[in-house]
This record gives sequence, C-alpha cells and structure tokens, in this order.
Amino acid sequence: MAYDSQSDDTEAAVNIDELRDGSDGTVARLKRRVGITEDQSNLMGFLFVAPNIAVFSIFLLGPVLYAFYLAFMEYSILTHESAYVGLENFYAVMQPYPWENGFEALRDPTTNTWWFSLRNTFVYAIGTVPLQILGGLAVALMLDKRVRAKKAYRAAYFMPVMLSGAAAAVIWRWLLADTGIINEFLRPLGLAHNWAGDPSTALGAIMLMAVWGGIGFNMILFLAGLQNIPQELYDAARIDGSNRWQRFRHVTWANLGNTNFFVIVMAIIGAFQVFGIALVFEEGGPFYATTTAVLLIYQRAFEENYFGEGAAMAMFLFVIIFAFSYWQYRYRKSEEVDY
Amino acid sequence: MARSSYEYPGYEREGPTYWSQTVGLYLVLTLGALWMTAPFWWTITSAFSANPTATEVSFIPAEFTFNNFIELYNRDNIPLVRWFINTIIFAGSVTVFNLTFDSLAGYALARMDFWGRDKLFLAFISTMMIPGMITLIPVYLILVELGWTNTYQGLILPLAANPFGIFLLRQHFKSLPAALGDAAKIDGCNELQTFYHVYLPLAKPALAALGIFTFMGAWGNFEWPVIVMRETEMFTLPVALFAVRNQYFAQTGLMMAAALIIVAPVIIAFLSAQKYFIRGMSLSGMKG
Repeated sequence: MAYDSQSDDTEAAVNIDELRDGSDGTVARLKRRVGITEDQSNLMGFLFVAPNIAVFSIFLLGPVLYAFYLAFMEYSILTHESAYVGLENFYAVMQPYPWENGFEALRDPTTNTWWFSLRNTFVYAIGTVPLQILGGLAVALMLDKRVRAKKAYRAAYFMPVMLSGAAAAVIWRWLLADTGIINEFLRPLGLAHNWAGDPSTALGAIMLMAVWGGIGFNMILFLAGLQNIPQELYDAARIDGSNRWQRFRHVTWANLGNTNFFVIVMAIIGAFQVFGIALVFEEGGPFYATTTAVLLIYQRAFEENYFGEGAAMAMFLFVIIFAFSYWQYRYRKSEEVDY
Repeated sequence: MARSSYEYPGYEREGPTYWSQTVGLYLVLTLGALWMTAPFWWTITSAFSANPTATEVSFIPAEFTFNNFIELYNRDNIPLVRWFINTIIFAGSVTVFNLTFDSLAGYALARMDFWGRDKLFLAFISTMMIPGMITLIPVYLILVELGWTNTYQGLILPLAANPFGIFLLRQHFKSLPAALGDAAKIDGCNELQTFYHVYLPLAKPALAALGIFTFMGAWGNFEWPVIVMRETEMFTLPVALFAVRNQYFAQTGLMMAAALIIVAPVIIAFLSAQKYFIRGMSLSGMKG
C-alpha cells in the first residue's frame, strides 16, 4: 500500500519535472555558486558510468569487433592461435549455394545445414512473432477493460514469461510426447500424434511453446502503452462519430507506435536468436527439423570447435537481424504521430 | 487508474449485445489463462506422483509422494545441492552487480551534468539492439584466454551490466524532483552522498523491480551457463536439467521434480511480488 501511494507521487512528479526542463539549469547555476568546476563534474560523471563502460567495452563492443575478425580466421582451441583464411569460412558455411541445386537445401538438411537452419529460423520467426504480438495485444486490450479478477488473469498470462526456457522445453517436450498428456486429450478425437518426434511437426511444437511463453511479455508492454493514451482522445473520436474499429485504428494503434516498435524489434531479435529451447527440446532433431541458425552456430563452435565458421554464420545472421531492425526503425519514422 | 472503454455517456451496459460480449470476453480470457497455467499444474502433479503416466496426472496425482525429490537428492551423479548453490551464486551476483552499476549509471545519466552525457545514454540504449548471439563465440574465447571457463567470474562478469536496467533506473531518477538534490548539495553533500542518501532510497521500488527481474532472468538463464560451464560440478540448475534430461528422459517423475526445483522459486516470487514484476516493466514506459 505504501508502495502504491509513493509511486503515484512519482508519476505526478514526472510532469512537474519535465515542465522545469529537468535539472540542468538549476544544477548548473548551483555549481557555479558553490565553485564546482566543469572538469570536476566531468570526472565525477565519468566515475559513475565507468563500471558500465568497462563491462560494455570488454564483453560487448570489443567482442563484436572480435567476432568480425574471427569470421576471417581459423582458430585453434588447442594452440589458442588463429590464422587468416580470407572468405574460406563463409564458403564452407554457404556452399553449395541453394540456387545452384534448385533450392534443395530448403527441403533436405543434408544438402547444406546452414541454409536449412535459416529456413527453420524464418519459419519460426514468421510463425511466432505475429502470434506473440497479436496475442499479447489482444489480451492487453481485453484486460484494459473493466474485468473482474484482472490481477489473477494478468498473473496467469505472465507466469510462463519468468519460466526458464530450459524448464519450459523439458515440460513441453513431455506434454507433447507420444504418451504425453496432450495426446491423452487428443486420442478420443483421433488426433493423437507424436508431435515432438515427427520432423514435420517438431518445429511447430517448439513454436507453440514459444507463443505460450511470449504472449505474457508483450501483454505487459502493451498494457503499459495503453495506460499512456489519454482518455480525451477516445472521447474526441466518439464525438466525431467514429466506430469501434476506427477508434482502435486511429487512436489506440496510432498511439501505441513506440510500444509497437519496441515490441516488434525485440520479438524479431529474440526469434532469430532462439536456440536454448531448441537444444533442450530435441537437440535440433528429429533429423534437423528444429535446428535453428543459432543452434547450428552453437553446435559448430562449442561442440565441434569450428569457431571461425561459427563466427562467419553469426555475422551472416547479424546482418539479417540488423536489416530487420533498421527496416522497422525506418518504418516507424514514417508512421510516427505526435500530439 | 485503468480506463474502461465502456466509460462514456450513452453506452448501453445492458441488452443482449452487451451480455454476449461479456460472456465471450471471459470465455476467451479464461481459456487462454488455462492454456498458460495448465503446464505448471501438470508439472507439479507429476513431480509429486509415484510413477506418473499421462492418464494418472491429468488433474491430480494418483498417489502423493516426495520420492522423486528424495531420489534426485540421493543419486550420486546428481550433486543437487551444489547446483543449487551455483545457481544462487550466479543469480545473486549478477543481480548485485547490475543494481550497483546500473543505478550509478542511471543516476549519472539522469541527474548529473557532464560532457557527452546524452550521447552516452544513446550509446547505452543502442547496445540493446545488438543481438547477443554475435558475442557468444568471442566472449567465450576471451574467457578461454583468461582461463575463466568453468569459473564463477567467467559466468558472472559478462552479465554484470544491462542497458535495460540503466534505462529503467535513469527514467526513474529523472522522475524524482531535482530540488531534492539541490537541497542536499546546499547542505554540503557531494555527488556520491546525494546519490546514496537522497535518491537511492527513493528508487527502492524501481530497484526492487529490477532486482527481482534480473534475479529471475539469471536463475532461468540457460544459453550462457551451458556455454561457460562444462564441468558437472559447475552446472547451474537449467544446465543440469538439460544434462539430467538426456540421462533420465523416460523417468517422468524425476524429470518433473527437477523442473519444479527451477520453477518453484519463480512461482513463489512472482505470486508474492507480482506488482514489482509488472511495475518493473511498466516503469520503463517505453518513452525512449
């Protein structure tokens, strides 16, 4: 209770603070008066952010550059030495090119596992991202209304989000097993099937699990976004004679612009990088059916020690993910509305 | 707080359309909620069943027993306690590092005045867009060079800071009145004292939210520990679950008991501190 009243205060403070244009003017004037020089405050500010800069440089930015370097190297885990091999890693990963054999690689994993794993990743992303987002938005819209037991519903939808991917994969692998509970319900209907063991349905089984785990996450983000839309906009739209769909399209959807951008980009980045659940679920099988791109990178680098090829695949995927994020960014710029 | 789209003059809150819509709304919400929670229920029931088969555990355990947990604990090749301790060290340290580093940076970026501040904030935020998989191999090779594979520091330090946490705390510090800091400085506090004695206590709700969120994320993290920790003794629980899965896949009771050990803290923490979870995510506000 104490927590709630406090947070209401801080929410009110946001507006007052923004009206004053933050701390800049006040603090600068104050500093001049008490004689803090610009150098001192620069040093102080730097010290506050130094730990983060250190962690990000050593474990994020440095490694990104190192990854590009590695893609052109052959690294030996035994001698810790690397040798320049030019584009060899990329050739090893990509050849034979799919267009040389009538795109056989997209159907037969033995032709070239990398292209097949990319196919799996795209199927996974196209299947899960829209369902996770639309599902999350639908639940958020339903819960934004006057619903009884709202907190219980919200808790139910959010519970899968906090669950470890490894635990989720073990649980769902068992639920979907030949003798699992789900088949127990489907058997009377004549629909029992070895969902996880059949190459044609295994990826779908993982996607079902991913949608299960992703809806709650997006629901929370959309609920927060919906709270930020002023009620006056809805009232104005009603006075103008809009119908329910028009209000959704031009008030709700238009005002969720920033949330949409964040949610879509995060979902796509996440979907292209999926590998933990696929590894635990069926280790990429049966017959490569659930081998995603990053799972292949993991197997090639960490199980078979071909780090150069792994880095080349990672760079390939990085370019794809970056292109999607950039496209979304440009798209958002053209869609943005301001009030 | 939450607005209702029913709340406007002239809306009929009676009549067949209203009632059919209400029934439909609750039906969809409830079916969805069942889909979300049923796997948890089945995990719990089969973890406490003697020899669970699908028919038996569909709704309640046929025969309630703790044997699965006792067997897990007693197996020689399953150092359950060690794994538990590893996971707590990992999740605890990552949380402490993140709260410390992110609140320092969040405060500086929100309330301090220094050269390049806003550009630095933008740079931090942009790192959220870097897909983590690109750094898996290089960071692992750095750890190999340092001899840090299969060590706690190798597992923890690469996750010691998180741009999302910086963003969240920066937004929170910005929402607190600047006058508090001005007053503290007039009273002779330096920047660190102002941060520690004035602003940090006021950020407790945000810190609690970020703390729970970070801890739970690390607790369940599988992708990073599975790469760094290769020795059985150093596994965290999710990695151990993967190893156990390969060995005892047919023994459903054992598997589900092992899964429940990972799941239970999440359920308990979430149900007892739901508002912090939700607040943690809503706080960021997505305002950029």
